[in-house]
This record gives sequence, structure tokens and C-alpha cells, in this order.
Amino acid sequence: MGTFIQLVVDGLSTGSIYAALALAIVLVNQATGLINFAQGGMAVLSAYIAYSFVRLGLPVLLGILAAVVVSFFIGAVVERFLIRRFERGDPDTAIVVTIGLLTLLTGVCAWIWSYDNRPFPSLFPLTSVDMFGVVVSVRSVGTTLAIIAIMVVLQLLFFGTKLGLALRAVAVNPASAAFSGLPVGRLLMVGWGLAAALGAIAGSLVAPQLSLTPGMLDTPLVYALAAVILGGLSSPIGAVVAAWAIGVLESLVAVYVPFIGHDLKIAVPFILIFVILVVRPQGLFGRKVVVRV
Amino acid sequence: MNTMSARLRNRWVWRALVIVVAILLLAAPLFLPVFANQTLIRIGVYAVAVLGLNIVMGYTGQVNLGQIFFLGLGAYAAAYGVTHDWNVVLVFVAACVIPGVVGLLVALAAARLGGLAIAMVTIALPIVGVPLAKRLSGLTGGSQGTSARFSSAPDWTGLYNDQWQFYIVLVVAAAAFLLARNLVRGKFGRALVAVRKNEAVAASMGVSPYRYKVLAFTIASILGGVSGFLYLVAVQYTSPETLSFGHSIALVAAMVIGGAGRITGSLLGGAYYVFVPQLTNAIDPNLTAVSQGLILLAVLFLLPGGLVSLPRVIGRLTRRPSARPSQEDSPQTPPAQHPSTDSAQA
Repeated sequence: MGTFIQLVVDGLSTGSIYAALALAIVLVNQATGLINFAQGGMAVLSAYIAYSFVRLGLPVLLGILAAVVVSFFIGAVVERFLIRRFERGDPDTAIVVTIGLLTLLTGVCAWIWSYDNRPFPSLFPLTSVDMFGVVVSVRSVGTTLAIIAIMVVLQLLFFGTKLGLALRAVAVNPASAAFSGLPVGRLLMVGWGLAAALGAIAGSLVAPQLSLTPGMLDTPLVYALAAVILGGLSSPIGAVVAAWAIGVLESLVAVYVPFIGHDLKIAVPFILIFVILVVRPQGLFGRKVVVRV
Repeated sequence: MNTMSARLRNRWVWRALVIVVAILLLAAPLFLPVFANQTLIRIGVYAVAVLGLNIVMGYTGQVNLGQIFFLGLGAYAAAYGVTHDWNVVLVFVAACVIPGVVGLLVALAAARLGGLAIAMVTIALPIVGVPLAKRLSGLTGGSQGTSARFSSAPDWTGLYNDQWQFYIVLVVAAAAFLLARNLVRGKFGRALVAVRKNEAVAASMGVSPYRYKVLAFTIASILGGVSGFLYLVAVQYTSPETLSFGHSIALVAAMVIGGAGRITGSLLGGAYYVFVPQLTNAIDPNLTAVSQGLILLAVLFLLPGGLVSLPRVIGRLTRRPSARPSQEDSPQTPPAQHPSTDSAQA
């Protein structure tokens, strides 16, 4: 029983990493109606920026915050000068653009910082605490709490503020939004900036665990996409809960289903999606999915 | 200008060109050095994979990030057949059928979701495929991969191995291109374009978007399997590295850069896939990924129709600006470019 709870806790903490990326994907999608496959690449770049700040002598927290600010501007610039040209066009072209961006960003990271693993300092102390007979690292708890906080803020932002309302309006119907006097272009830039800033937090939280490499977030991105499919593109809470569910499930399956084990556990979310789609052909967007998972 | 006669002339020019190219291709391996032959062989291999991707992405508008998985599956199926001494025809059939069935199953689930979700599901295929190939070491040889030397030239031909492989790839790839061309020009192709343009309208005209999406995906998977077979012919070895995620992304890039929704674009895409890494590696290996990303973005910006639209664009630029061509595409080709990218600057 002890191992079981331990596995669940571990799963929640890895799930939080997927959740952070999933939130950034949901954010861009809500703000622009796109899926940004470069989200992982942008987060890695942000983590490298934070790493460079820390190497320059900034404390970890300040380094991450500085990276968040820089990333906000990078995200806004990417939207303004790259994505905008494709935003109202064919969504497939826009997806390919984000794929090109992913290649480019990974290449830039590798070019500047090389493919070597870089140790990234952890924001949270590396100690563990004993909670109800389960060993929980402070870092996991800190990561999970940080993700919960971001999720709540995002939910409030989207559904409780004028900015959130405007972002959603632009995503749903940019033409009508423009007619109502909303500055569509600026809102799109803000949406991308926010997503990039969120990616910076995600990247910096994950980097100590995975150690910093240009391809660090390729695999977590896949989990995040799975979480977004399961949790629904329109619901930050849904995406986070799905990400946690996936994290817990893969952690349990890796141990209790020997055939799958650690190397194949990445198949778990997709088998899940597959089964759900076959059982419920209408698809399971929105919160209902999360209940079933 | 009499467009009818221009078209007729065009067609004859086209036919003559095809014949010349065919003769050149048949003669080429006998004169070219081994390295050039091998490069052409690899272009043929990847052109077939890009062709499949083009059918599912360029014509039907479903982003498929997992095409390399089907190439890998085909290569592994062929390798398994060869190492177990199957007849070569059976090997080829297995390399088509196994990826086709897997593609059908994936599409049955994925096509139920919207276009974006298909992209998100297919991204998983190579990422799950690599550890799966390592795990099923009884079938695949694990991390070391398996080698299958079955495409050596028989003695009676008097050919060298690379020449023999060239002809195998040429025949199979030409057949695949011809079949695909006839497919997309007929009713099936029009249905695909209808689904791509507007699913609701397609459905209201009795074209089931779901059915055509699944069909297109399955055909793409089969073509992926065929290119996997050819890959084994050319390389005679396959390993989990064959189906890595990076290659899958590169295939998508090759398809877009060659020209989405155009059959000849797939050929250019295959050439891009083979040549550009060589080129960028020669410039600076550290900049390979950067330059590939830049090339992809630059093409999307400047030449949304891909390389295949280059002659037309140049023609338009050199002509007098007032003389707008009445019919930009030749009649048989579906829309070359994503029409909306031009109006994106809203």
C-alpha cells in the first residue's frame, strides 16, 4: 500500500510537468485557436535563458522571473512577426509553421548551449519529507503547488477578467471582436506572450529533474498534447486534471504492468485516448472526459 | 491567346518531357558513380513516403506527424520477412499490408476528432514506436536493429548492386507515383479536396468526410510501408533510429517545401529530404537544425505553394504585371497552395 501511495504521489508530480505545458497549449489555443507544437521548444529556450541568468550570478528565483519576462516578449515577437502571417489562414499551414519553429528553436538552443546536459539549479530544496508514511520530495510538492496556483490564476484570468474575456472573444471570432473595438493584434500578442511566460515557468520547474538539453521537453510535450485531447482544449482545469491522471496512470502502469514497464509507458495515454474514442465515438472533449479517466 | 491549343501543346511538351526523363532515369545508373546512384535511390525511397504524406496532408488537410512510423513499420516487416526467407513478393505485400492495417486502426480513432487532434495523436506514433521497436527485440532485433541483405543484383543481370537497387526503387516508386496520380485526379481526389475545403459542404453533397479521411490516412500508411520496403532495399538495415521523431518532422517539412497537394511536389520533397541535411552538414553541422527550421519557415513565407510552384511564381514575376494569368494551375492539378495564406495579413 505504501508503494501504491508513493507511486500516486510521484505520478502527480510528473503529471504537474505535463500540466504546465498543457496549460500553455490551452492558453495559446484559447487566445488564437492554434495548437502550438513549438511550445516545448519555447519552454526549453526559456529554461536556457533562466540558466544563463543564474550562471551570471542571479539567485534562482530571480533568474526564473527574469526568464519569464524575457519569454513574454519572445512569445509576443514570435506572434507578431511569424505567426500572424498564418493566423487567419489554413490551420494546417499554421501547424506546420509551429513545427518549423520547433525545429528552429531546438537548433538555436543546441547551437548556443550545445547538446550537452546542463545541471539546472532547483528552485526548491532537494530534501524529502515523510508524509503519512510516504516519502515526498519538497521539489515535487513545490512543483505541484506552483502548477495549481498557475491553473487557478489562468482560470480566473480567462473567466474572471476583462482581458480573459477579450482573449476568448478574439479566439472565437476575431472579426466580431475587431468590430466590437477590441485590439485583436495586441490581444494575440498578449496571448502568445502569456503562453511563453507560462512555458518559462514550466521549463524552469522541469529542468532540474530532467537536466537541461535542447530536446528535454519533446516527450513531455507529447504527454501534454494527450492531456489536452483528454481534458479538452477549452478548459484549463480539465487539461490539468487529465495531465495528473496521465501522470498517475503511467506511474502505476510502469510498475504494475511488467510488459509496459518504464520504456513503453508513454504509450499509456494514447492507448487511453484510443479506447475512449472507440467506446465513445462522439469524442470526449470538455470535462466529462476527466471524470471518466 | 488560344488557351485550348496552348493546353494541347503543353500536354505534348509534358509527354515528351516524361519520355525523356524516363529514358534518362533508365540509363542514369549505368553511367553515374555509386554515390550518385545511392543518393538517387534514397530520393526515391523518401519521395514515396512524402507522397503518402501528401495524400493525407496536402490533399485531405489532416496534419500527420507520424508518417515515419509507417516507413519504419514497413522496413521492419520487410526485414522480418527477408530474415525468415519469405518469397520477395510476400515480403512486399507484408510491408504494404501491416502498415496499412495499423494506419487504418489509427485513422478509425483519430479521424473521429478534428484536424488538430489528428496531428496530436499522430505525433505519438514515432515517439511510441521507438521504445516499442526496442522492446520487441524478438521481432525487430532491439536497439541493434536487423540487417537484411536481399537486394543484391542477381548474376544474370550483370549489374552492380547499386544499379540493381536503383531499378527496384525506380520501378516501385514510379508505380506508386502513377497510382497516386491517377487516384487524386479522379473522383477520389475531388472528394478529398472537397473534404479539405469544407467538411460540412462535402458531407451535404454525400461525401462522407470521416470515410475519406480514414481512406486517405490508410493509403498514406500503405505508401509509408512501401517506402519502408524500399528503404530496406536501399539501406539493407533498419533500427529504432529509422523511425525517430526528428525524421518524422523532417518528412512533414519536406512535404511542405516540395509542395503540398501536388504529386510532383512529393518528388521535390524527397530530394529536399536527402539533399538538405547533406548541404547544411557541409556548411556547419552545428547549424543543421537551425538552417532546416529557417528553410521551412522561409518557404512558408515566400513560397506557400512549395518548390513545385516556383516556375509559376517566376513566370508571374517576369511577365508584365498587368497580364494576369487567367488560369494559374494547369487544369488537372488540385489547388497548389493554401489559398488563405495570402489573405492572412488581415
